Formats: sequence, structure tokens, C-alpha cells
Amino acid sequence: MSRAAHPDAMSPAEPGRTRTAPPQKPASWPSHPRMRVYTLFGWTGVLYLLIGFGLLETAWSLGQGEVVWDAKLASFSHPAYVAFHLLCLVSVVFVAVRFFRLFPKSQPARIGPAKPPPRPVILAGLYAVWLGVTALFVAILSGAIFS
Amino acid sequence: MSLGTKKFVITRFDPDRDTEPRTEEYEIPVQSDWKVLDAINFIKDEIDGSLSYRWSCRMAVCGSCGMMVNGEPKLTCKTALSSYGDSLTIEPLANFPTIRDLVVEMDGFMDKFQKVKPWIIQAKERAVEEGPQHQSPEDLQAFKQFSMCINCTLCYSACPVVATDPEFLGPAAIALGHRYNMDSRDEGADERNAVFRGEGTIFSCSYANECSEVCPKNVDPAGAVNQAKFNAVVDWASSFVVKREKE
Repeated sequence: MSRAAHPDAMSPAEPGRTRTAPPQKPASWPSHPRMRVYTLFGWTGVLYLLIGFGLLETAWSLGQGEVVWDAKLASFSHPAYVAFHLLCLVSVVFVAVRFFRLFPKSQPARIGPAKPPPRPVILAGLYAVWLGVTALFVAILSGAIFS
Repeated sequence: MSLGTKKFVITRFDPDRDTEPRTEEYEIPVQSDWKVLDAINFIKDEIDGSLSYRWSCRMAVCGSCGMMVNGEPKLTCKTALSSYGDSLTIEPLANFPTIRDLVVEMDGFMDKFQKVKPWIIQAKERAVEEGPQHQSPEDLQAFKQFSMCINCTLCYSACPVVATDPEFLGPAAIALGHRYNMDSRDEGADERNAVFRGEGTIFSCSYANECSEVCPKNVDPAGAVNQAKFNAVVDWASSFVVKREKE
């Protein structure tokens, strides 16, 4: 096995009389495809943290006068900035697809007398809402509506 | 039909002699219809009688023969040997202390199990004269999947939260608590949801979904844990509207 788990993982409340070997994490974790996806999912949080800082900095520059604001707008077309946002787009799609896959089975069997629809219907609904919201934002940002 | 020979690298640990686990290698002739457990039984019967491990039913019902096979938790009586190459690594279940060789300490699991009150709770004991308490097929369907658990604890070995948080109740215990919450005969959901809302329970789950991936009985403990999250929140919110007798 590759790495030690928490030394008290699955330990009994009252220690037994026999000396035990400490718990180990599964040796397959670093290389297992499912665990790699899970780890990647965790790392996407770093991207959202960076986006948060970027939003704060943008809001701050808005209050620093026209020159600073214009410079900030100009920086949005920098290749590094565009590449970062492409990476964020891929990340959001990855997180959404993973969430959509797991969401249907998280629904309770019933809430009072109401039962959730079949899981494929929930999944289809999630994708439909996602596509609808994306289309709405594209329409707003392109000036097709609310311009 | 013979599959030739395979090499088994097996973790050994004798608490009276070894300071830490070590490995031993065994090369044995194997048959095409063997499960991994058959090979381990062959090693114990023919080569090394001191090898310690748990097994009983040989048909994926008792849940006692869980081990790590090539780094993944498997029920060895259900895992075909033919699906592996020439060499297999057999280790005790991950995330558990090891008592001896492939035998892990289960008392910690039983401690967690009891915390979710895995029995039917009723405010008033039902009199025999009242006859059986009927359930519709729909009532049964609400919890049947979660009652198929055989307590093999593979889900605990696969869970990244169990590996890092000793307080976490874990997949099987929460799934069983959820199973009783969904049982139409049970009246103990308030008590269990109070446990579920505590430290180290359902909200510690990061939904890696590994427990459901390795479950040999398709119980889907990850689904149960995350349904329990929803129910516990609804139960907490409704407590502001509906006064509970015990509160």
C-alpha cells in the first residue's frame, strides 16, 4: 500500500487487546481513473477561487477612475486572460456534467405525496435548463435582446 | 480447465512478531473457473496454513471475504480470477486497522453502525392482536435497495472521507439509517436525522461516489447518503413549523 490513512480511521472506541497495523489508503488511488476524475473535480475549486479574486480586482478597478478602468478592459483581450477563461469554461462543463450525472440519484424517493420524475427525465431536464440559460446569456451578451 | 500459474503477493502481519506488515509471494496453479477466494483457500490448504483471512458463504451473501485485490476493494468470492493477469496483490481492506494478515478490525465499524439506530423505532409497541403491519409494494420499493447491504465494508475501503476523517459515520451505516428512515413502519426518523445533522455524518460526504462504484450488491450508498442530506434538511426546516413531541 502506498500511503497511510488517518491513524484512527475505523478504530474502535475501545481499543482491542491485540496490537493492530495502522490503516492504509488504497494503493490504487493515485492511478485509478475514477479517483483522478474526483481529484480533478477538487482542483477545479482553485480556478473558481482565482475567478473570485479576478472579480474583486475588477470591481476595485471600477472605482479607480477611467484610466484604470480602460486599462482593465484592455487587459481582457490579453491571450493569457482568454486562455484562462477557456480553461474555466472547460472546468465548468466538466463540473456540470459530473453534477448532472450524480444529481438524479440524490433525489429523495418522495416528498410527502409527491414523487420525483424518473431519473432520465431529471437528467434531460438539467441539460435542457443548462442549454436554455446558456442560450439566454448568449442572446443578452450578443445584444440580440435587452439591447 | 487450467489457467496455468499465477503469482499472489499477499500482505502478512503477525502482531506478536512483526513491527509492520510485510508481503509474501506464492505461485500456484489455478483453474479458469476459480474466484480469487479459491486461490487464497488453495494457498492456506496446500502451502501455508498460517495465512489468516475471513470467509464463509462463498456466494456474496455473508460479506466477510472483502479484501484489496490489486489495490481495489473486492468481495473475493465474487471476483473471477480470470479477469486478472499473471500477478495479483492481495491486501487487507484499506482504511481499517489490521489485526492479522488479511483480517481487519471491525469493531470501529460496529460502533458507527449502532449510532444510526438500525432498527425499527415505534412510539408505541404494536400489540400482537393488531395483526401484521402491512406495507404496499411501493412502500417496500422506497427502501428495499438500501436493505440489500451485506456489511462487507468495501465502501469504507473505497471512501476518501473515511481515510481522512475518523469521525465520519461512513457509507454503509448512513445507508442503513436512511433505509429505516424510508421504512413506512418506522417512526424514528427524527432521532436519526438528529444524528445525521451532527459532526462527521452526511454533510462530511464529498460525493466521490466510490462507495457505490465498489458495492458488490448495487446498494448505491452514495445515493442513500445524499438523499439523507436532503431529508435531514427538510426535517430540520419543518421542525420550525411542526412541533415535535420529544423537543
